[in-house]
Amino acid sequence: MASAEPESAKEAPLPPPSTAPRGGVNLSLVDFGLRFVLFAAAVSSVVVIVTSKQTVVGKLRGVPPGFPVQAKFDHSPAFIYFVAALSVTALYGLVTALASVSVIAKPNLSTKFLLHFAVWDTLILGVVASATGAAGGVAYIGLKGNSHVRWDKVCYAFDKFCRHIGGALAASLFASVVLVLLIWISIISLHARIRK
Amino acid sequence: MDGQRKAGFGVSDGSETTTMARFCDLILRFVAMILTLAAAVVIGVDKQAKTVSLQLTAALPPLRIPVTARWHYSSAFVYFVVVNAIACSYAAFSLVLSAVNKGKGRRSFIRSAITVMDLLTVALLFSGFGAAAAVGVIGLKGNSHLNWNKICDVFGRFCGQGAASLLLSLLGATSFLSLAVLSALRLPRGSN
Repeated sequence: MASAEPESAKEAPLPPPSTAPRGGVNLSLVDFGLRFVLFAAAVSSVVVIVTSKQTVVGKLRGVPPGFPVQAKFDHSPAFIYFVAALSVTALYGLVTALASVSVIAKPNLSTKFLLHFAVWDTLILGVVASATGAAGGVAYIGLKGNSHVRWDKVCYAFDKFCRHIGGALAASLFASVVLVLLIWISIISLHARIRK
Repeated sequence: MDGQRKAGFGVSDGSETTTMARFCDLILRFVAMILTLAAAVVIGVDKQAKTVSLQLTAALPPLRIPVTARWHYSSAFVYFVVVNAIACSYAAFSLVLSAVNKGKGRRSFIRSAITVMDLLTVALLFSGFGAAAAVGVIGLKGNSHLNWNKICDVFGRFCGQGAASLLLSLLGATSFLSLAVLSALRLPRGSN
């Protein structure tokens, strides 16, 4: 341990080993809180995009007047993937929130849990990020259109639909930020715990 | 030493595993760099020009209209190329940093910073892949509800090259994911 002392003095961003037990408990409370926030963000994102159905009459270009046109989230495979991925994330957030309660209750077994959290959190981060990117890409085409390929924009007519999609995207972006914070917390907790 | 036993993934001692883990880390970074570079390049040279014949009326001969498909006609592909370029340059930079950060000093601040940036690059790469894949699926199948026509029946080679680039980027994103997981698993060990 004597050879490790000069290194621990050099690392500014990590807590010093003497406060690791107390820092560990506080961090696991933060971990539980963030996992609950992740669950809430994923659930709200799914709910907002599923309730985004809108029917307009006579506002869409290229459609004869008096002909109702409907926009639903399952008209696009990217949005279906988004709903599926965020539902999995919500379930994951719930399960790991319950698991992190057991980390608070029994700190002895926490190292194994933290390792699992770090690995699975990274996988779920990939899933959420890809879902956000996919829905964001399609929503951007719906917003601005693509003149080169003749894909017309639709958001000027389906305003409520596009607002819901935008809200769901903001929630999923927030969920991915929360996931990154969770992985950082798991790594910091692991580091503090092993150095103890 | 107690902490190493508690971590529980069955590894006995520090030194040789750390060397192998460092070796795996460098190899993965190199592979990720090559894959993301290849993905950016393959879609960056993606261009296809075709002449579409349009029959206005039965009396006139069909009009031949030249149309071109370029990758930068779609904002999602531009984002995809930018993200892959960022990931490639980050992989090169962190490869150099990791390779240099060995004997003297072993600054764990650099290691923590690389772990942090690895996670962000994973998220970026996956989001770029998702966006390009979503637009590619629209180009492949069209979207009848929104009146967006498919283009891959006309521009077959453009779509095929785009699909190849997406596959390369997905492999690069997976290697970044393994890197992030490896960094998280290694961090308890590597503080000696």
